[in-house]
Amino acid sequence: MSAADSISTAIRTAKSKGVPAIVAYITAGFPKREGFRELLAQVASAADVVEVGVPFTDPMADGTTIQRSSRVALDQGVSLKWILNELRMYREAAKTQTPILLMSYLNPLLAFGIDKLPSEAERAGVSGFIVPDLPLEESDSLHNALASRGIALVQFVTPVTPVERMRVLADSSRGFLYAVTMTGTTGKNVAVPPEVLEYFSRAKSISPVPICAGFGIRSAEQVRKLAPHVDGVIVGSALVEVIERCEDPAAFLNALRE
Amino acid sequence: MQSVIGREAREQFLNVRGKLPDLVTACVGGGSNAIGLFYPFVKDRGVEMLGLEAGGKGTGLGENAASLAYGTPGVLQGCYSLLLQDENGQIQETHSVSAGLDYPGVGPEHALFMSIGRVRYEAVNDDDALAALAEVCSAEGILPAIESSHAFAGAKRYAKNNPGKNILIGLSGRGDKDMPTLQRTLLKGVI
Repeated sequence: MSAADSISTAIRTAKSKGVPAIVAYITAGFPKREGFRELLAQVASAADVVEVGVPFTDPMADGTTIQRSSRVALDQGVSLKWILNELRMYREAAKTQTPILLMSYLNPLLAFGIDKLPSEAERAGVSGFIVPDLPLEESDSLHNALASRGIALVQFVTPVTPVERMRVLADSSRGFLYAVTMTGTTGKNVAVPPEVLEYFSRAKSISPVPICAGFGIRSAEQVRKLAPHVDGVIVGSALVEVIERCEDPAAFLNALRE
Repeated sequence: MQSVIGREAREQFLNVRGKLPDLVTACVGGGSNAIGLFYPFVKDRGVEMLGLEAGGKGTGLGENAASLAYGTPGVLQGCYSLLLQDENGQIQETHSVSAGLDYPGVGPEHALFMSIGRVRYEAVNDDDALAALAEVCSAEGILPAIESSHAFAGAKRYAKNNPGKNILIGLSGRGDKDMPTLQRTLLKGVI
């Protein structure tokens, strides 16, 4: 099974048990560089897929929580190189096989070098990438480089994406299709109105890969409401805030399934 | 839209001087006013163009906002251009006495024009920009923005080496908004 397929499989397996898969986001090196692998293990034990955020100075898709966690991580010198090294060590010791994706803006990937990124990511056990500031039309070189190692590049759709465009994005997306809940940045609480549920169902019917809803997912109530319409939910800012308050991340993630 | 300034300036210059300028200058932060002034002159091969970036207080990372002079290629806010960034691709804080030039990237057309040699770009430091502002005030009775004063400083530098040339300077904004900065700098101890 390719790395990309391991993501789809993990999501479908969770969904087949009757609850949406939980894709959990943490910012690498937040709140501290020390203990990152232990935190990752806790999150991975309760999540179906983990998204590790590569901090960036200008995170234009993110709200205040992830801006703050990114800043804290950067102030401690967290870089993509450090993250890949940590993940490699984590994989060597890990008890769970929960797939890990990196969520990164494009510039840190370019600075690292697209030529050596796929092999280094593979060595670190990274199954996929989410790059929110890389439009489909510009994504060929990264998509193909990652595909050469079976690594996924996830595409995004939003409530205002026309159906034809959604089809093209879904066909290109690997691992899963990231269905943004709203127009705006991460972290706000979203109400999930009926027309948004219709949009998820539309995306799900079109997409050959599982669809996961993300941006503003915070409560078990939202997860229940979304359950019939999506394969998974992505929880980012709310989890980062749990970690910020020194609460138990695994307990928070498990409670979302109730 | 942005090129209205260049189209009008080109027409007026032809009307007043009967020929095109030898040099067109403008300040470059993100680069929008400059590209608007330059664009209608791109095909006029005889017209030299000079963009002036904020040299700030030095050449080190964080001391200026001169992406073309000191930047490296990268992607910020959807543009592949030259950026002030570190080796990990993290965008760096910038410095300039003028808020309007204080941006760590630059419009990609400028990076293109620089790479093909159509436009030259130079940095003007804070002190030279402020000195140019004072000179425009006393000589012309015009209070230019500190941003635009970078273009005046660059034009003056060019004129010293190229006497007798016709120069078109982009005066992109007025300096009333800069009075608090000027009170802390040029006018410190004066008023």
